Amino acid sequence: MQARSEQDARIMVITGNAAAAYGAMLCRPDVVATYPITPQTEVIEKLFEFAASGELDAEMVPVEGENSAMNVVTAASMAGGRVFTATSSWGLAFMYDAMLAASGTRAPVVMVNVNRETPGIIAVSSGQQDMISTRDSGWIQLVAEDCQEILDQVLMAYRLAEDHDIQVPVMVNYDGFYLSYLAGKVEVPSKKRVSDFLAVLNEQPKRQILLPGQPLGCGTHGILQGFVELRYKHVQAMERAKAAFDAIDQEFASQFGRGYGGQIEEYRTGDADIVLVASGSMCGTIKTVVDRKREQGLPVGLVRLRMYRPFPSEKLTQVLKDRKAVGVVDRSVGFGIQGGPIYSEVCSLSAKFGGASVLSFIDGLANTDVTSDHVEQMLDLLSAAARGEPCPQVTWVCMEE
Amino acid sequence: MTEKKKKLSKVFDYLQYDDPYAGGLTFCAGCPLESLARFVPQVLGDDIVITGTPSCSAPVLLGQNIGTWHRMPYYGTLMTGAAANATGLARMYKRKGIKNTVVCFNGDGTASDIGFGNLSGAAERNEPFIYICYDNEGYMNTGIQRSSTTPAGARTTTSPVGRMTHGKDVTSKNLPLLMAMHKVPYAATATMSYLEDLAKKLLKAKEKKEEGFCYLHVFCPCPTGWGVPTDGSLDLCRMAVKTNFFPLWEAENGEIRFTREVNKPKPIGEYTKLIKKFEHLDEQGVARLQKDVDFNHSILMRLSGSCEQGGRHD
Amino acid sequence: MAPHTYFQGEGPWSDADQLMLYLDTGSWRSLRPVVDAEACIYCGLCALFCPTQCMINKGEYFLPNLEFCKGCGVCAKECPRGAIIMKPEGECDASKE
Repeated sequence: MQARSEQDARIMVITGNAAAAYGAMLCRPDVVATYPITPQTEVIEKLFEFAASGELDAEMVPVEGENSAMNVVTAASMAGGRVFTATSSWGLAFMYDAMLAASGTRAPVVMVNVNRETPGIIAVSSGQQDMISTRDSGWIQLVAEDCQEILDQVLMAYRLAEDHDIQVPVMVNYDGFYLSYLAGKVEVPSKKRVSDFLAVLNEQPKRQILLPGQPLGCGTHGILQGFVELRYKHVQAMERAKAAFDAIDQEFASQFGRGYGGQIEEYRTGDADIVLVASGSMCGTIKTVVDRKREQGLPVGLVRLRMYRPFPSEKLTQVLKDRKAVGVVDRSVGFGIQGGPIYSEVCSLSAKFGGASVLSFIDGLANTDVTSDHVEQMLDLLSAAARGEPCPQVTWVCMEE
Repeated sequence: MTEKKKKLSKVFDYLQYDDPYAGGLTFCAGCPLESLARFVPQVLGDDIVITGTPSCSAPVLLGQNIGTWHRMPYYGTLMTGAAANATGLARMYKRKGIKNTVVCFNGDGTASDIGFGNLSGAAERNEPFIYICYDNEGYMNTGIQRSSTTPAGARTTTSPVGRMTHGKDVTSKNLPLLMAMHKVPYAATATMSYLEDLAKKLLKAKEKKEEGFCYLHVFCPCPTGWGVPTDGSLDLCRMAVKTNFFPLWEAENGEIRFTREVNKPKPIGEYTKLIKKFEHLDEQGVARLQKDVDFNHSILMRLSGSCEQGGRHD
Repeated sequence: MAPHTYFQGEGPWSDADQLMLYLDTGSWRSLRPVVDAEACIYCGLCALFCPTQCMINKGEYFLPNLEFCKGCGVCAKECPRGAIIMKPEGECDASKE
């Protein structure tokens, strides 16, 4: 770890939204497109504050809707810009077609998505359904746990998106309400240190960009094998993004003194018979309960998913090997599938990681808190499963009977 | 035989740049959109970056795999976000200090329907690019469906003529006027039969885009979709102007000025009778369209101040 | 396993320097514009209005490039002197001009 002075970083108590905005500002984007939506709005307000004070020198585009926000940043990226936008839930849904264009054209867009419930039932509350709904958009999707990690993940997101070997847009997710408005201690690095962290991008080969006078066009039709080639390349880039993210995380740790473990964070999993797989802010609570259970002698641990797409299949297979019971907590639902969406993906690996019972827990929908009681309940069920007792495959922990 | 006057039309003076397109393009025979697509870069120059969306021009603006039909840098994107994409490009070039012309080239479906919100948004923010809408009054590339610029009474596959329905049952959206009312630096109408007028407006837009958003609405009949002979589109362009169905005007910061006065407008029936999509119209149907034409024109007269200068010019 | 390679990079980019496309639109034509060079007043309206921009300036008159001419007839219709007629292809020489 390098020695740090006040010039290197400031310690601030700021919300998750402010942390996201600081992260974006520190990376010096060229074009920022903004549209308000709860619980994201503070991000763009903060960015306009930075622009007003001169801390941020960017083309600010206050568009008339999220669909345009995504289109503006994608095109600006095609013209060679570093870009940023932020959204949430319905806003994410409204920009879905443009998200497909961004990933299909391999525009290295970085966006934060402040997780909020999405479909039909209007809920101004937290939930990861928005992120889940864009799973197959071809974006890299990261999930942060706390305010510090939001800022840090935005920095890492630029390294990942703009890496010449990747060139895939990155979405940084964090829980609306729980993190968006929660003020926490955040170390805000200096612009200089962030520039140093991003400098490696300048040394890479240049990606194709649109410039006047050059007979290059982007958005050509992919015809038959041409389409297949581009899809294959995209899928391969997603695969490469896993190791790239691990490496970036390590480099980040060496430069900033904070490492998170890459695709997944393992918390007290070493000798754990029972492991919970979860993501986002609920992991703070889960860690507290894991500590308590450990004091009671129960061998439990947590695997925190920091990357949802690409899905860290290899890492998960490795860490879940030979456990007695695995529980997956989803802050979203899977319509027409058994259990939560992340659960079903973990299940798809179960043949590889061995004979553990895998249980699905649906919790925290629409701001129904994932309390320590809920986590205890999950661990009790997993203990029973570990003993070989019959347990329900899916439990809606957030549903009171 | 009289002495031959060997003098090229002065429109050639406006064509200062090479046609960037290949010889054989996928446009239907006689399509004036092909004329427009080729005309625009010959006038505007070689600093264009063009954006296009799914439409009749998409198979030409966008390439196929590595191959392409023209030499312009282009970004092929979505109908929903056409103007937003042009915004992103224009802002980035502005930031880099690159002087060039971003052209957002779309049909009326994108401009008046699915991409209207972000067209309006870009105009309101005064984004520095030129938006060209070629208006063929419907979704021609998907096979002739009605759009909001399809005129009242017109037959399309989604406003059919039958026992119960008689073509489009509502009036069209006056998109160029709506755009002028955004008080943008420049908005204008043009059509393919008056090429000098069109060229002047393109050059004016190129100049005015330094101040911000410019909008050009180009009336572009579709021989295939409207039921017109392949050599008939220019007659329609002229007649649309002569009947006041499509008046030629320009607006700077919302101030409207006619660029071609029509002293004795012909009745709209002279126009509709040339086009199969109107062939089912009875007297009442024609009268209804005439009323619409008169209303639209009267608004322009009032906004241009032409009324005060002596009432109607016809 | 490796894909067929059309694209140098990762994204859907075309490059006019590598490949320009065109269609054999001359084969669409059923009527051929035939120019009476004597009657032509060299105003160039045929060339300006030709959608495919295939009327070639021959100095004193214009002739169609039959490789791409779609035979739409706009040139003949717009000629102020009636110097262009549209002749059925079957009655024309097989040669291009």
